[in-house]
Amino acid sequence: MNARRYIGAAILAVSGLALAPGAAAGQMSLHGRAEVGRVEHRVRDAGMVQPSAGVVFGGALGVLVGDRFAVWGEALGGRLASDSARGEDRDVAEVQLVGEAQLRPWLTAQAGLNVRSYSTQLARQRWTTLRLGAEAHVPLALDGVRGLVRAQWMPVVSVSGLGHPDIALAAGAGVEWRGPRMSVRAVYTLERYDFSGSAATKRLEEVSSLQVGATLRLRTSGPRARDTAPSP
Amino acid sequence: MSRVALVAVLLAAPAAGAAQSTTSEMLDRAVRYHAELDVERELVILRQIVSPNSPFIVTQAQRGLAYKYLGAALVVRGQADSGILYFRAAIERDPFTDLEPQKFTPKELAAFGEAKRLTFAVGVRPVTPDTLDPRTERLTFTVLSTHAAALRVELRATGASAALPLYAADNDGPRELQWDGLLGDGRLAPPGRYELLVTGQSRLNQRGDSTRLYFSLEHDHLPLEDTLPALRPDELLPEQQPPGLARGALLKGFGLTAAALLIPRLLANGDVEGGGRTLAAGMAGAASAAGVAGFVYRQRHREIPANVAANGRRRADRATANASILQRNGERLAETRLVIGPAAGVGP
Repeated sequence: MNARRYIGAAILAVSGLALAPGAAAGQMSLHGRAEVGRVEHRVRDAGMVQPSAGVVFGGALGVLVGDRFAVWGEALGGRLASDSARGEDRDVAEVQLVGEAQLRPWLTAQAGLNVRSYSTQLARQRWTTLRLGAEAHVPLALDGVRGLVRAQWMPVVSVSGLGHPDIALAAGAGVEWRGPRMSVRAVYTLERYDFSGSAATKRLEEVSSLQVGATLRLRTSGPRARDTAPSP
Repeated sequence: MSRVALVAVLLAAPAAGAAQSTTSEMLDRAVRYHAELDVERELVILRQIVSPNSPFIVTQAQRGLAYKYLGAALVVRGQADSGILYFRAAIERDPFTDLEPQKFTPKELAAFGEAKRLTFAVGVRPVTPDTLDPRTERLTFTVLSTHAAALRVELRATGASAALPLYAADNDGPRELQWDGLLGDGRLAPPGRYELLVTGQSRLNQRGDSTRLYFSLEHDHLPLEDTLPALRPDELLPEQQPPGLARGALLKGFGLTAAALLIPRLLANGDVEGGGRTLAAGMAGAASAAGVAGFVYRQRHREIPANVAANGRRRADRATANASILQRNGERLAETRLVIGPAAGVGP
């Protein structure tokens, strides 16, 4: 019940972050993104580590409001194959809604609601996560190329069948090229979830990914929006 | 004693003006006697005027007029040769001296003509202060040779070697020459002092004579606008990246590489035995490549195209503004009027 309240608050926060600037901004542009990535998922439970990895594909739609605000809806999925004979392959599917606000030209605040499910032949586990974080951008001298570093904290994580993790953090680094209508980025991300328990039986989960995505500006309305695609 | 001096000064002060007016009155009387053919009284008055012992102040013009009437009176009296001598004296003082046909007899006119044949002089009338529009008006010089002569009239800025010939041909008597205010190159004469040189050589006795006329010329036009000054360095954007930018790009790339490599080491839980280090290494490689590529690119391309374009626009704007100013100034200069005035010599 407590988690539901958190999630409700998260939806409000994301919606507010995404929609608040709408009245002030006169420009809107619609962006689409396709991405592919390699995901490694490792779970340590009862002293055993179960690694799985696979390729995921995804797509996203984003609305850029003015030059400072954006909201993205994203979905991706794929199959993660177990690395061990004892492990099970699992399908991963994820949807998320992320709002962004550019605080400084080099710094963007992010808030998002993420729903992810892992499915095996026997069961399905659903993760609902509220993410708060920031992404810093560093120009790399090449025209339109910049590096990015991001850090996220997940204050609310609801996992079916499990309790609330004690630690839920994520960090990432990447490189992005932004052209007039298109941008391409590669981002490495690591998510860490430590659940409570004794040292021997403690459940630990880790998701690392390297995703490559291409974003295209699909449509612009109102006064001319900036010529570069927004970062998700 | 001082009172006596003061009284003497007060009494003497109006004396000069009174003497001059006396000369003028005497000339008027002489002219009146001449019209009445009372040459004896006329001669008495005129001789008083031209006498070196005359107590009166006599101007050059009055003296010339007195010589003219003396000559005429002597001709009427039958002393033509003496009359011619006085006519010549009058002509030498003022080559423009002439006898009005309605006031003088044919005999006087003939004697005066003979005096002009015997005397060679060239002259030019002083310019009167005037303002003229060179597009529609002309400055008129009146020159004269007392008899047939080869006459040459040149105009030059004082101190300049090049002269603009206004007339070079035979002449006899007065002649009006018009000047449009342009020099030989077709440009409006610049402000300054000018000299009109009149030289002549008699066709009758091969004698030569010359005279000069100085006048000042000023331009009168609406005030001209200043053109915009050249753009100062602080008004232009830097067109090249600082040399340290390439090194900075390399360092940023390496910093990003370090971040990608450190994330799995710092954030990952060692008990999970993973952290996606292979993926992180791939990302680190991409970041390194981007940093090195940025370094190499910036070493070879230091220019900032946006700033170059912005500076180009600023220069173009300035050039456009200056072109407009020059055009407006040109229009104002095209309406320049020439202010002419007499001058004394080549300069103060």
